[in-house]
Amino acid sequence: MIYIKQFSYEPGEHEAETASNSYLMSLIAIIVGLPLPIINLIATLIFYLSNRKSTYFVRWHCTQALLSQLSMLFINSYGFCWSVSIIFTEETITNNYIAYLIAAIIFNLTELIVTIYTAIKTRKGIHVEWWFYGPLTNIICKSKS
Amino acid sequence: MKKIITQGTITILLFLVTCFALSQIEWIAVFKVQQITDKTEQKLGDLFWEVFKKSEKEIKNIKVVNSVDTIVTHICKANKIDRNKFKIHILNKDEINAFALPNGYLIIYSGLILNSENQEELTGVICHEIAHIELNHVMKKLVKEIGLSVIISMTTGNSGAEVSKEAAKIISSSAFDRSIEKEADIKAVDYLTIAKVNSEQFANFLYKLSDKENEATKYLTWISSHPDSKERAEYIIEYSKGKLTDYKAILSSETWVKLKEELKL
Repeated sequence: MIYIKQFSYEPGEHEAETASNSYLMSLIAIIVGLPLPIINLIATLIFYLSNRKSTYFVRWHCTQALLSQLSMLFINSYGFCWSVSIIFTEETITNNYIAYLIAAIIFNLTELIVTIYTAIKTRKGIHVEWWFYGPLTNIICKSKS
Repeated sequence: MKKIITQGTITILLFLVTCFALSQIEWIAVFKVQQITDKTEQKLGDLFWEVFKKSEKEIKNIKVVNSVDTIVTHICKANKIDRNKFKIHILNKDEINAFALPNGYLIIYSGLILNSENQEELTGVICHEIAHIELNHVMKKLVKEIGLSVIISMTTGNSGAEVSKEAAKIISSSAFDRSIEKEADIKAVDYLTIAKVNSEQFANFLYKLSDKENEATKYLTWISSHPDSKERAEYIIEYSKGKLTDYKAILSSETWVKLKEELKL
């Protein structure tokens, strides 16, 4: 799922800290305690935009964090809408709904654990690439040099 | 690029397979969702009935109760519905009204029986209310009208008597959605047909009410809670067309007359 790779250069102390923070931003919703799935994405997006002119290492990790949040947004939004429709409309709780929620929780938890692990590793200047998101980030985020 | 597509597809598939695999488990039974829902409904029904019992006088005259019970039992037996889940109560009130409460409570006002020209009209309204209970419309309406939070606070005993009264008022005198009413009407016609009761009389009752619809009278609650009586009567007639004509009266004409006489006393 996650691969530790050699980055094109050795990141500095400050770079490692900023890159690590991009992952911590995606955990903000847990701190805020809001059930709205979009909060994570907005926080990560703001961090990404404020760091888009930063160094390659920082940009790379901001992009990976943003992409992972984007896909979680789809899963969580669908679950959120489903829950709202159960509360406010005639929709009832079904097996499929509970199954979807559990699947969403499993994926969110996996993402959370991987995010915390990556934040710790990145803080030490170690470059971590995720399954699917890593190669995708490599295409989107290019070195300026 | 190929690697990304493959990994992306695997991730999506993994999510879908997880969802599918998890959906094979009977979560509703595992989490006892049904039991919790049933318990809530039971509590709410009892709570509402307490409100009506305190504010209105219940008719316990054995002849009246037995006659209405005969109609309900006949409908249930013919349609293979469990009769025991219904709790029928007749209240002494001039309003032309009947309504269903959670947990199978069916409340009929004496005004409705007195204003029904024949037993088929009354049977039609009873069938309509039974359909609401059978199709689980009552709880849906409650959630929509008073909100889930109020229901939870009522069942956990955190709300005052005023809230219960207000909610009881809503459930007895406000309308269901038009589509829900239609669903209950159609189901009622099915019940009537199977029980060999003339459903056209039910439509006639609605026609009759629609004529009075413009009269501002406080006695016609069933109209205000069931709008568009004329339109409803029309689709009931349309749906009833070509159905069975071999009708049988549930109560003998003497019993029906006696029922009304007892209520007039």
